[in-house]
Amino acid sequence: MMRRQEAISVLAASREDAISVAAMQAIMAWHATGQAEIDHLDALGCMGSASSLGLGIALARPDRRVIVLDGDGCVLMQLGSLVTIAAQAPKNFYHFIFENGRYETSGNQILPGFGKFDFCQLALAAGYRQALSFADAGELRQALSVIYAEPGPVLIRLEIAPDAPVTPWPDVTMHTQITALRARLGVVAS
Amino acid sequence: MTIKDTAAKPKLNVDESIYQRSRPIGANVLFNAIRSASITHVITVPDTHQRTLLELLANSPEPKLITVCTEDEAIGINAGLYAGGARPILLIQNNGFYACLNTLKAIPLDAQVPTLMLIGEHGRDLARPSRNNADLSVRMLEPTLEVWGIPYYRLEGPEDMVNFESAFRQWAEQGGPVAVLVGAPTSLEQPNSISRSPSPVMLSETPSVDDIKSVGGHKEKS
Repeated sequence: MMRRQEAISVLAASREDAISVAAMQAIMAWHATGQAEIDHLDALGCMGSASSLGLGIALARPDRRVIVLDGDGCVLMQLGSLVTIAAQAPKNFYHFIFENGRYETSGNQILPGFGKFDFCQLALAAGYRQALSFADAGELRQALSVIYAEPGPVLIRLEIAPDAPVTPWPDVTMHTQITALRARLGVVAS
Repeated sequence: MTIKDTAAKPKLNVDESIYQRSRPIGANVLFNAIRSASITHVITVPDTHQRTLLELLANSPEPKLITVCTEDEAIGINAGLYAGGARPILLIQNNGFYACLNTLKAIPLDAQVPTLMLIGEHGRDLARPSRNNADLSVRMLEPTLEVWGIPYYRLEGPEDMVNFESAFRQWAEQGGPVAVLVGAPTSLEQPNSISRSPSPVMLSETPSVDDIKSVGGHKEKS
C-alpha cells in the first residue's frame, strides 16, 4: 500500500506534457508538487466528473496524453462513465484511481462494498483496453513508461493508505483553469 | 386505487394561446441548424421527443454523436471538449435535466462553461402550456430553470426556429448554460421549410402572426 504523496510523486515525475484532471484527495497533493499550474483541471464540486472531463479533453486533443487522478468514491458515483470511456476508446486516456476505501473528505467513512468490488475487473468488463493494479510506488515507477507506450483507455488502480482529510481546497477556480488551458492549447474563441 | 397528486400546482398567468400551435418540428431543420452552427459533437442521453433528430445525427459523420450513460457525464464531457477547443452541445430530456443538477451547478454555472442543452419535454401534453401539465417533470421544468437562473428558449413548432437561433447566439457569446426546450416532438416528415399545414398533433387553431410574435419564451439571465 502506498502513501498518497508517494504515488503523486511518481506520477508527477513521469507526466511529461500530459494534460491532467484531478479529483478529491489527489487535488491538493497534485497542487503541492507544482503540477496544477498548467494544463490542469480540478474536478471540484462535481464528484464523479473527473473522468468525463478527461474524456472530453482526450477526444478534443488526441495529440495529447490525458491523465485522470480519480478517487474511488468518485468512480463509484459515476460508474457508468467507465462504459462511456470504453465506448469512445480514446488511445490517449489513462485513468488512475486512488483507492483508499474511504470517503476521505467527509471524514473517512468506508465506501460501500469496499473489499468486494474490483476496479480492474469493472474496467475490463466495461471495455477498457487494459487494467493494472499497484500497491508499491517503485513498481508503479518502473511500469509507467510501458503503460504510456500502450494505447488507452487504461485503468491503473493504486492502493493508497487511508490518510487525514485534506483541506483547504485550492483557491483557483475551474473557470480560470479552463480559460488557461484553452489559451495554452491555442483555442481561438469562435 | 387513485393516487392523489398533492404537489403544488402554481396558477400562473400563462397565455395558453401561444401553445395552440404546438406541432412537430422538422428534425432536418434542427439538424441543419446544428450543422450551420459548426457544432462538432452532440452528447446525448437519448430523448423520446428528439428521436428523429437523433436518427439523423446517428447517420451523419458530423457532428459526432456521443451517447453517454448519464447527464452528469454529458456535462463533464461537454466541458472537456470545450476546454480542448471543440464546439459541443447536449441533447437530453427533462428527467435527465433534474438528474444532473449538482454537476450543472459546478460546471456550467460555477465555472461558466458554455453548455447548450436541447431538452425534450418528455410526457408533455401538447394541448396545455408546459407549466399547466399534470406531469411534474413537465410542469416544473421552466420554474426549475428560473430558480437556477438558467436562460431558456422554447420550441413549440417550426416557427420558433428564431428562438433556436437566439439560444445559439447567447450560448456562443456568453458563458454558462442555455436551455432550448423542445416542447413538440421532432419529425422526419416535416419539410425543410416552415409549414403552416396542420399536423396530427396540432390543435385546430392556426396561429396568428401576433401569436408567433408573442412566443419568445425567453428569460434573460438576471
